[in-house]
Amino acid sequence: MTLFKQIALLLSLFLLTILTTVLILNFQSANKGVQDRLYEDAKNTATSLSLSLGSANGDLSMMSTMINANFDSGNYRNITLLDVDNIALYDRTIEGDITAIPEWFFNAIKIEAPIASANVSAGWSQVGILRVQSDATYAYKQLYAILIDLVISFCVIASLSLIIINLLIHAILRPLREVQKQASAVIRNEFIIQNTIPYTKEFKDVVLGMNNMVSKVKAMFDKGNEELKMHKELEYIDQNTSLKNRQYLIDRLPEYLKIDASSKGGINIIVALSGMIEANEKLGHQDVDKLFLKIADIFRSNSKIFKNSIVARINPTEFSLLLPDCTSEKGLGIAKDIYDNITNEIEESGLNKDETFVSLGLYAYNHTDTIAQLFSNSDNALAQAKFNKNNIHLVKTENINEVMGKEAWKKIINQALLKNRFNFVSWSVIDTRAKKLEHHVLSINLALDKSTSYSYAQFMAPAIQTGLSNNVYKNVVSMLFKTPDMILSHSTYSLRLPYEYLDMKETYEEIRELLKNKALPFKLIIEMPDKMVRKDSQHIKLYKDLFQKYGIEIGIFEFIGESDDYQYLQELRPVYIKAESSYFVNQSAQSLSALRLITDSISISLIAVGVMDMKTVDELEKKGIYIIQGLATEQIEI
Amino acid sequence: MFKLRVLILLSLLLVNTTFSSEDYVEKPLLDEIAQKYKVFAKKRFFLLQETLNSVKDKSDLEKLEAVNKFFNDVRYSSDMKIYNMRDYWATPWEFLGKDMGDCEDYVISKYFALKYLGIDYKKLFFTYVRSTKFKEPHMVLTYFETPRSEPLILDNNNHKIFSASQRKDLTPIYNFNGDVLNQIGKDTKKSHKKWDQLKLNMKRKKI
Repeated sequence: MTLFKQIALLLSLFLLTILTTVLILNFQSANKGVQDRLYEDAKNTATSLSLSLGSANGDLSMMSTMINANFDSGNYRNITLLDVDNIALYDRTIEGDITAIPEWFFNAIKIEAPIASANVSAGWSQVGILRVQSDATYAYKQLYAILIDLVISFCVIASLSLIIINLLIHAILRPLREVQKQASAVIRNEFIIQNTIPYTKEFKDVVLGMNNMVSKVKAMFDKGNEELKMHKELEYIDQNTSLKNRQYLIDRLPEYLKIDASSKGGINIIVALSGMIEANEKLGHQDVDKLFLKIADIFRSNSKIFKNSIVARINPTEFSLLLPDCTSEKGLGIAKDIYDNITNEIEESGLNKDETFVSLGLYAYNHTDTIAQLFSNSDNALAQAKFNKNNIHLVKTENINEVMGKEAWKKIINQALLKNRFNFVSWSVIDTRAKKLEHHVLSINLALDKSTSYSYAQFMAPAIQTGLSNNVYKNVVSMLFKTPDMILSHSTYSLRLPYEYLDMKETYEEIRELLKNKALPFKLIIEMPDKMVRKDSQHIKLYKDLFQKYGIEIGIFEFIGESDDYQYLQELRPVYIKAESSYFVNQSAQSLSALRLITDSISISLIAVGVMDMKTVDELEKKGIYIIQGLATEQIEI
Repeated sequence: MFKLRVLILLSLLLVNTTFSSEDYVEKPLLDEIAQKYKVFAKKRFFLLQETLNSVKDKSDLEKLEAVNKFFNDVRYSSDMKIYNMRDYWATPWEFLGKDMGDCEDYVISKYFALKYLGIDYKKLFFTYVRSTKFKEPHMVLTYFETPRSEPLILDNNNHKIFSASQRKDLTPIYNFNGDVLNQIGKDTKKSHKKWDQLKLNMKRKKI
């Protein structure tokens, strides 16, 4: 219960108690007043009637008449004349007929009209005593009217008072609401500085304290951001050519070489410059550096037509051009163009083209290759190129004899989509230091029938090739929300959604509809690619707001720290960042420290994926990375 | 010399007079009366006690005679003069302490003294009468041997006790006994405004 409600309840109860007490006391006072009045009336009658009776000289018939005359006026319940021996000489009594008031009131309020007495004498002689009791009917009516008036007054006063109390508490506690808003923001790792400082001292101290704290955390984040940006430049950029370096290429490659990569393959061209020692001797370092800049421009102009291409200087004399979705023919054409242009530049710079020359090894990679295979085959192609007449050589991997052709896969996947033949499988993400399970990562299997099933790794590549991958993801997300019982454990699950799927216009609306109709019985983290969250801020904001509304958290995967500004992490506030284990292992201490400064200040966990063995676990732990995903988790007992 | 004699006489009186717990006026109250109304007032109360003691075991009539005689020696004065009020019912202690009062003050003091002597209060009534001689309202104490017998009149104007039929100068108007009415109206403890105030004053020991 909020403090506002507690105070409002307490004050309301206090007020109602006071008002009720006042009402009761008022009613009791009125009750007493009415009863006193009953007695006074009876007493007046007793005295005056007793004097009148004295004039009857003891004549009972006359006295009875006198008593009747008084009694019949209707204001008395009882008039009794007793003789000197206390024997009733004459008695008149009526039963009260109270119809003007409700029965409950009559039963609740017992009014006993007091009896007033007076001596009656005739001359010097004693006649007896006259007893008079007033009729309580009038008192009941009067009291009931008083009660109604009091209750109406009570209701009006109580309503007005409660409204005033409510307004007052609202006014007094308004600064507290701001403080609460700020505290909630801090919990959500949002940094709000409250500019309106409350007047109340306690609230003022809290606001100033929180402002101070928020400022410090914000400064910490900004410092980390600046440092990381600075380190990233050193880490990923070749200083001479401003091209990316080998580290960058290695960190980016996992995004291209994976089962569900958006591109199924392409060409990797390794360009090697020979005779650079001689060139340096002949031209000097400065002119050679200029030559490298020109060569870099040639690479850029030839690779820019390929979306997501990477041009990197992998050592002082070798460059790599990763061209996704580039065919062998196109690759050879580009290679020829590069060769000619560089050769021209060499000649124009006054160098001997037989002494200083360029070799281009082309490797037609497949997205299922490993990084080692890519480099090995590329090197092999380069080695061959150096012996070729035109210094260009293309190596192609032999096509794997697939068990099934494209059409067969298309049929299977379509069938699975139609009959909903996908099953969820999960594996663990583990904190190696705390020895505890962080969350489960969800994946899917395709179970065609009881005896035939395909793993994600088996069916996803054909799905991409046949253009069905987005349909598969659509089905998976739908399955997650429509039949959440397929996941038994009430734990935390993460689901990775690729760029292509999230980028589709209809995806947002579909997920929104699913969320609207069904609540999940487990905590869900949707993992989004770093490439998307750092670039497509408007699109991501929509997803963020949607997920936040339904308590779904966001994780980032394929992080390589490539951004120009890490502010997007603060805006998105993911629960974790997942990066390849090699990324963390190869980071410099300064760079990782800057990243930690950012993530620690807004409580983002760092998770290493693809951790295959305990050796890597040790390396990661030395770098301060304790949460891992991959085969190594099976070797850790929790 | 005279003062010395008076003091010696009073001292002897004090020694000779024994007070018991049944005294009409208890000692602490008597001391307060002496303090307020000086030593002669205290003497009057000693004499009252003596008078009451002297008839304690006598007949009702002798008690009536003694009490009537004792209080009729007190001087008459109007309430306006004494209390600056038109009508005030004084307690027996105020009446004897001041040594003056009007008709109802005599009646009150006589009533409570006779009650002290053991006379049934139901036999005694405050009777409002009209004095044909003075043509003014008056109050006397009436004594009824039985409820239906002719009452005896204890009057401060006529010092001798007569039966009602012998007092042609008095016209009876209304008999009143507060104790009787109090007994009937147990719940209210109220019966008559003047009587109720008197009882309250007596309870507070107003002197």
